[in-house]
Amino acid sequence: MDGFLQIRSATKMYRTPEGGSIRALDDVTLHIRSNEFISLLGPSGCGKTTLLKCIAGFEDLDHGDITLTGQSLTRIPAHRRPFNTVFQNYALFPHLTVERNVAYGLDVAHVERKERTRRVGEALEQVGLAGFGARMPNQLSGGQQQRVAVARSLVLKPKVLLLDEPLSALDRKMRESMQIELKSLQHSVGITFIFVTHDQEEALSMSDRVAVLASGKVQQLASPKEIYDEPQNEFVANFVGTSNIFKGKVIAKEGRTLTLKTANGRELAVASDRFGVGDDACAVLRPEHLKLSGEARDRAIKGTVTQSVFVGSEMHLHVDVGLGRTAVVRHRHNKGSTEAAYGPGADVTLYYTPEAAHVIECKGA
Amino acid sequence: MAETGATASRNRRTLILLLAPLTILLGVFFLIPLGIMVVYSFLEPGLYGGVEWNWYPYNYGRLIGWPLNDYEVFDPIYLKIFLNSLQIALMTVAGTLLLSYPAAFWVASMKGPRKSLVLFLVALPFFANMLVRIYAWLLLLRPTGFLSTLLESTGLIIEPLDLLFTNFSVIVGMVYVLTPFMFLPIYANVEKLDYSLVRASRDLGATNVQTLWRIILPLTAPGIIGGSVIVFIPALGNFIVPSLLGGSKVQMTGNLIERSFLQSRDWPFGAALALLIMAFVVVLFSLQFSRQSKSEGQGTR
Amino acid sequence: MFERIMSSKGWWRLFQAYGLVFLIFLYLPLALIFVYSFNANPINMAVWTEFTFDWYKTIFFGAGTAGSFDAAFTESPDRIFEVVRNSAIVALSASTISTVIGTATAIAIRRYDFVGKKVYQALLVLPMIVPDIVLGIALLIFFVGAGFELSLLTVIIGHTTFLSSYVFVVVSARLAGMDMSLERASADLGAGPLTTFRRVTLPQIMPGVVGGFLLAFIISLDDVVITYFIAGVGSQTLPLFILAMMRRGLRPQINALAILLLSFTFTVAAIGLYLRSRKS
Repeated sequence: MDGFLQIRSATKMYRTPEGGSIRALDDVTLHIRSNEFISLLGPSGCGKTTLLKCIAGFEDLDHGDITLTGQSLTRIPAHRRPFNTVFQNYALFPHLTVERNVAYGLDVAHVERKERTRRVGEALEQVGLAGFGARMPNQLSGGQQQRVAVARSLVLKPKVLLLDEPLSALDRKMRESMQIELKSLQHSVGITFIFVTHDQEEALSMSDRVAVLASGKVQQLASPKEIYDEPQNEFVANFVGTSNIFKGKVIAKEGRTLTLKTANGRELAVASDRFGVGDDACAVLRPEHLKLSGEARDRAIKGTVTQSVFVGSEMHLHVDVGLGRTAVVRHRHNKGSTEAAYGPGADVTLYYTPEAAHVIECKGA
Repeated sequence: MAETGATASRNRRTLILLLAPLTILLGVFFLIPLGIMVVYSFLEPGLYGGVEWNWYPYNYGRLIGWPLNDYEVFDPIYLKIFLNSLQIALMTVAGTLLLSYPAAFWVASMKGPRKSLVLFLVALPFFANMLVRIYAWLLLLRPTGFLSTLLESTGLIIEPLDLLFTNFSVIVGMVYVLTPFMFLPIYANVEKLDYSLVRASRDLGATNVQTLWRIILPLTAPGIIGGSVIVFIPALGNFIVPSLLGGSKVQMTGNLIERSFLQSRDWPFGAALALLIMAFVVVLFSLQFSRQSKSEGQGTR
Repeated sequence: MFERIMSSKGWWRLFQAYGLVFLIFLYLPLALIFVYSFNANPINMAVWTEFTFDWYKTIFFGAGTAGSFDAAFTESPDRIFEVVRNSAIVALSASTISTVIGTATAIAIRRYDFVGKKVYQALLVLPMIVPDIVLGIALLIFFVGAGFELSLLTVIIGHTTFLSSYVFVVVSARLAGMDMSLERASADLGAGPLTTFRRVTLPQIMPGVVGGFLLAFIISLDDVVITYFIAGVGSQTLPLFILAMMRRGLRPQINALAILLLSFTFTVAAIGLYLRSRKS
């Protein structure tokens, strides 16, 4: 096991103003590898920012331990940890120029002037801001401020770069280009990036691994592909991407193909190795796995379109599949085709292959 | 829950270090003196100043005119003086309010550098020495002063006009000294008044007077109330203005306190008088505080 | 914007005229002192005789140096110098100490949460709310009871106590606009607490600190009531001196002294107000 940055049974409680307490981190254990891009993904209040603050040293853990290559960080204050943070609002010092901002960490470490100038120049070049050194932060665009914040951290050659929702303040276009840039930057500097975000697309597109957090616990830690295709539980299935989840009991098994019967009596054929007859299980069907036309071996569900939403590249159809269920279907939009056919009230048949369904354990099925 | 981590204990150390100086200062030179004052108000005055350590509630009895012994009669002179102080303080609040309220709208209606300049001009006298400002009214109001001389030279009056040493002169002086305290909170409120509400009211058919009464006044009420409280309190306890502009004719509680301490040397009675004023301060501010926290609570909900 | 609400033009003019009256009300009394301070008439200031600088001269050089003024109309320059020096010592030390203490408190309150913070904050503003006279006599009782001799020191202590609250409020207002993640960013980049304060926090709140200092300085310099009770025999300050002069009778020299004092405080206040306007 890679013993780079290890978080063991981290627990952190917060007092609420009303006098109660909230478990912001609940026994979190996470092993972070060197030189990886890992995202902490979750809804607000899931504990991801708290975890980042504990790693950075701005907050203490109540229980548990964080170690870096085997050494405990508990007694080491934030300013002595070899980590640097890119803050959500960048936290650029408004009274210092871009150059002084980037030089700040070297200044306080009394790095000799020549080397300081060289490293600041390098760092600014790295983020594509050479020549902006004399500007004040408020003269820069949001994206440029973002880069200064990154340069300011990277110039110190930290072992880990912590990024606290750094892209949330940018507009969509800028966000997408910064995603690519950050990823390639991580590649070229070769250090660990821990990236906190609530945006699943961001997490999936940039990361080597994603840790999905909810209510202070790690729900799943895996590669983006695994997270999407094989969510470990209902929360992950729902939070990452859109899922049509059918809860039921396995009533028959034939090879890898299970027959799942839902409480409403619907029977679905799904493929899995893990479950046996009598088990509770949930079938997760992604909208793109439900097709409006199919082949012979596909299974079919009949339904009626209740709502169709045009989002540009595709149509999102909400289909009433009977027995009180609505399923979401994504349909590729082709110019010139007869979309009207899928307007509200249209009867459709949804096809899926049992292999496309992912079966997970169900809580309280 | 105990926070045991390194960051927490470091933070606690810094917190204590930063708060200690002012806490000690306020504890020793503010809270303890106020506490001693409370104790003094229940002690017997010494013959030549100072106190005798005897339980002596008569300081408060004297406030309402209770006779100390058989030779005295019930005489609520101190109560009358206190009521007069209340009256002067209330008139001062009314005066500053009437002056400042329209002025706040006047300044708020301006724009750009002109506004900054006028705001600067209004704020500046705030910093002028209080004595000098009172002194100016001595020059204006006395019989050989500016107003009297001016009126005489125009033939409007024949005899010199003595405006000094009346409740009026005291109120004028107080209004002059305390106007900034009223103006600033009202202005702060008027400045952030959303004029689209005023337009909406007009649009819905309200007259100017109705709009003022139903929209503008309620919206600027916090400034009016805040300003009134911070004018009322210094007016009630003031002794410099009445002693200079009121002379021996206008007595306020502040003058009584001053004399108890520096002339008659009856410290316990002076302390009792001061506590009477403090009682008003405490009541007014707790009302204001609870009103504020209530409206804050509504804001966050 | 307001023009549309003040629908009739007549009302609008009246409103403007009122504004002017308000300004005249604020400045006419002070202007009067200014004019009188150049009036040579030693008996009745309201009757103009001729223009003179003599009243100003007497402040610096005494009675004999300026025209024929009798010593009875003037105070000696030595005495004036002494009280000005007392005022300067008190105002400078009290405002300096209270700036340090008030700023430290404001930072602690902004940065940390602790049990009873609300109550503590209420305590911090209490000295601004308690009437001067109550604070004055409470301190008098305390100093006499504790065996302090009334002196410049007791005045400085007394002023520092309530001025710290003013500085606290001014600096807090500035801190409220400061992004506290800057402090965390500084720590994150390797700066210790002192370095962070010196290089990040202090530059950010400097206008507030300077403004708080100037406000404290002016309030201390102008204070009459509290000083009145806790100043000893040798520690008379300039305002107390002017008060004593006024009680002895209105002499033209007071005009000149008042104008000099006003000019000084207005200059300090103008600098403070300018700094405050520049922050935005």
